[in-house]
Amino acid sequence: MDFRFDIIIDYMPLILRGTMLTIGISILSIILGSILGLGIGFGKMSSRWYIRWPFQSYINFFRGTPLFVQIFIVHFGVIPAIIGRTDPFIAAITALSLNSAAYTAEIYRAGIQSIDKGQREAAQSLGMTNVQAMRYVILPQAIKRMIPAFGNEFIVLIKDSSLVAVIAAQELMYWSQAMSGQYYRIWEPYLTAALVYFILTYSLSKLLNYIERRM
Amino acid sequence: MNMKKWGLFLISAILTVSIVGCGSNSNGSGEGAQGGASEGEQVIKFATDANYAPMEYMDKDKIVGFDIDFLAAVMEEAGLPYEVANTGWDTMLASVRQGTEYQAGISSVSITEDRKASYDYTIPYFESTNMIMVKEGSDIQSALDLEGKKVAVQGGTTADIIVSELFGQNNPNISRFDSNTVALMELDKGGADAVVADNAIVGEYIKNNPTKHFIGITDVENFGSEFYAILLPKGSELKAKLDPAIKTVIENGKYAEIYEKWFGETPDITVLQEAAE
Repeated sequence: MDFRFDIIIDYMPLILRGTMLTIGISILSIILGSILGLGIGFGKMSSRWYIRWPFQSYINFFRGTPLFVQIFIVHFGVIPAIIGRTDPFIAAITALSLNSAAYTAEIYRAGIQSIDKGQREAAQSLGMTNVQAMRYVILPQAIKRMIPAFGNEFIVLIKDSSLVAVIAAQELMYWSQAMSGQYYRIWEPYLTAALVYFILTYSLSKLLNYIERRM
Repeated sequence: MNMKKWGLFLISAILTVSIVGCGSNSNGSGEGAQGGASEGEQVIKFATDANYAPMEYMDKDKIVGFDIDFLAAVMEEAGLPYEVANTGWDTMLASVRQGTEYQAGISSVSITEDRKASYDYTIPYFESTNMIMVKEGSDIQSALDLEGKKVAVQGGTTADIIVSELFGQNNPNISRFDSNTVALMELDKGGADAVVADNAIVGEYIKNNPTKHFIGITDVENFGSEFYAILLPKGSELKAKLDPAIKTVIENGKYAEIYEKWFGETPDITVLQEAAE
């Protein structure tokens, strides 16, 4: 089977530019999604049902519907309603962050609830408030347990970011599709994209391994 | 404990087998067998991306459109049994190049030099020009007015190639979407100033959305015409059978009949015949 390296070289500047945007979208979405997820996770842990309910609904909606559809809703519905026009970059980060927050919320909750009740009671018996107990006793232990789950979620998010090519956010998959369209070839563009995604996700998992060992 | 594990294993094994079984049984879903295969004759399988009304699209679970009617006429002329399956664009490209499962593709495929390196084409069967679609009251009058404007296209189409050549491939003002439907939505929502697409597509969209006040602009000077042909693997033996059949269908008036059915006007056959040479 012939494999045309010349068209890959031809597209290399665009592939690199797309990769930079993929990295940018992924990092921003990971950060925003993790912050938003923390709030939602705490909300879901509330003991009052009327506080819990909206957060639970949020998680149900974003985990229960396809990201593909969420991207369209954000791009053609939410963003135009706020800024008056469409913007693929803003829509991509918004959709990915909102979606990721639903998953990270559950990771926070699972991590925090996995810490034995006795830890909180011990902290309180030392005179710590609830917030202090959470900040100094529970979270430091919980976060270490959350890291592998976060690793999973972030890797999925990086690969899911390829879906935003449907709203013409000019990231890695977008340029791969452009290359495929010009030459009517499948393997050169998509295997190149797969390799780049692999490098990104592999580096991230190595980084997270390192962090986990250091904690 | 062990029993439980075995039970789970068995259940998942059974599920897997039944899912795989269903998959291979329902292999024919979305395929319209046509032409009546007789015993012993090999059925030629055509792949298409039925997402391009009125050229080829799904009417419920049936593949219809100009290309499909035209193909029926050609295959009748050639006397070959065939099938058309909606495989989607990428699968069509990959499998036609291989040529094992699908021996040809018909999906408004334009002939370009870059693509000829990887595929063979039949003689052209359709002339297409690209059109600009804008909102009523836009100051865009011709292709040159698109300079500096945000233009949405379907990626990989000749509209994409044309605007990329005019304004630079890495021009951030060009947005390439998966389908014209999404590109047109971008125009509607204010994310783009214009859409460039095949005249058939633009005509169909304006017809279907009369309340949106879109207008189509033809610019023959800057948008040269292009030709659609049936996509074949390199060195395909089918070319020798399909080319004469296409020629006959165009000459004997069948082509004009189908053209009028879908577009309500008479085709310019001489252009096609000249391009075939």
